[in-house]
Parts: sequence; structure tokens; C-alpha cells
Amino acid sequence: MSDIGKVRLRIPSPIKPGDVVQVRSLVIHPMERIERDAQGKIIQKNYNYINKVTVTYLGKTVAVFDTTQSVAENPFFSFTFKATDPGQLKVEFLDTTGGRYEGTADIKFS
Amino acid sequence: MGEPAGERGVRRGTIVTEGGRVSRRTALIALSALGVAAAGGLAAMPGTAQAQALGQNESVDEALKRLFGGKPMKDGAASVKLEVPLIAENGAVVPVSVSVDSPMTPTNYVKHIYVVADKNRIPVVTRVTLAPEAGRAFMGANIRLGESGDVRAIVEQSDGSLLVVKREVKVTVGGCGG
Repeated sequence: MSDIGKVRLRIPSPIKPGDVVQVRSLVIHPMERIERDAQGKIIQKNYNYINKVTVTYLGKTVAVFDTTQSVAENPFFSFTFKATDPGQLKVEFLDTTGGRYEGTADIKFS
Repeated sequence: MGEPAGERGVRRGTIVTEGGRVSRRTALIALSALGVAAAGGLAAMPGTAQAQALGQNESVDEALKRLFGGKPMKDGAASVKLEVPLIAENGAVVPVSVSVDSPMTPTNYVKHIYVVADKNRIPVVTRVTLAPEAGRAFMGANIRLGESGDVRAIVEQSDGSLLVVKREVKVTVGGCGG
């Protein structure tokens, strides 16, 4: 469980200015599913799952994923962004227990 | 009921109203009114917010009605590409990707991509909000599928029009537990 919140970003290289780059991101997270009791009734509790993923590039929001419990464990998301200037790409994951996990990558042109 | 609950309530409220095409201001006014109405202020808010969350236990028809309010949807087969496996051996991890032919300019871009799994107990899987800076209307994610059924991609363009594409996925082992 200690791996919760580990974020991995994979960015292709090399990148040229103006390229539309497809990034793959992964976070280690249990994404708890709804549990039911013996009668099949839903157990009401605060399930721990990621409900928001925000991608920012050069301080601007590029994509936001609002997610539900129908997303798989250790969720993987991919998205694109247009690389215009060197700078930081940040992917931030928020879960329902207030957890905040982020991964960053420096975008450089070769 | 401390501060975190209140915060979460407000954030969820905002999310939902975007989907319901109500302005942020209206939503916030409505939310604050709720807060005032409940004598305890914050006390009633988490429950209310919970009821409005993106993912709920409901049928797919209810979900679509809640999100889009019966707006007409066009068949998007010409411009929307939904990639899902035909057969998913493990419903717990099903890769899905959606790409849309769109110029992605500030005046004409894809605003939202929704992924909806018809047979899931929580049919709305994700809503992706894109900015023109994304360069291409694309999203990919690993989702869960409870049983065989349709997976839909619903694309909302910046002019408000909706496109839908659906594909059937056969699931050998369901991934939603229960």
C-alpha cells in the first residue's frame, strides 16, 4: 500500500516545437469499488477513489478528467498537448479522501 | 462536519452543474441557498453534493438524461473514433481511447468527451474536459466493465452539439465486483 500515489509519466522524445504530443500517465491507487453487504445493499462510506485528474502545461489547464469508480485500479490516462514552449507539464490526481498526487515532466526540445 | 466536507461539496456541485449546462454562478447561488436553508449550514451539504456527483448508481438512461437533459445526439461515426477491445478477458482493466477529428481552435474544439459503460452500476466512467491547447481531441483510460454491453463515447463540441458512438464489448470476467 505504500506505493499509493506513485505517479509515472511517459513522454515520447524527441519533441519538436509545435508537435502534438501524446502523454501516458499512471498512478498507483486502489480505486475502491462499491461494496455490498449480504443483502446486496450498498455499504455507505467514503470510498477512496480518484475523482479528478488535472493536466497543466505552462500553467494552463489542458485537460481535466472527472472520474468515477468505473475507472480501473491503478488508473492509466493518456492525453495530448501541443508543445509550444519549453516548460513544465504537470499531472495532478485528487482522490476522495483529500489525497493529492502529482507528477511533473520538463518539456525540452532537442 | 469540518471544512473538508464543505469544500468537497462545493467542488462536486460545480462539476455537476457544468454537465447540466447551468452557469457556475447559478449553481453557487443554489448551493449557498441550500446551505442557508439547512439550519446547520454545512450539515446538509455533503449529502446534497453526494446526490449530485458525476458517478451514481443508476441506469444508463437516467445518467444520460441527467447529464444531457434529452438533447439530441447525432451519430458521430464519421469523426469520432472509439477504440475498445471486442472481447475483454478481464473486465477490471479495459483500455479505452477516444479520438475526434476536430481542428481544436479556440472557436471550434471539443469541449468534453464522456465515456459511458451502459451495463455498469455506475454508468458514467469519466468526463474529460479539454482545452484548445490540447492540440488534438484525444483521451485514453483504463476502465472497468461489469459485464458485456455497449460502451459509448459522447462528444460535446464547443458549439454544444453532441456526437455519440457506441461499440459492444464482450466481457469474460466482470470487473466491478459485487
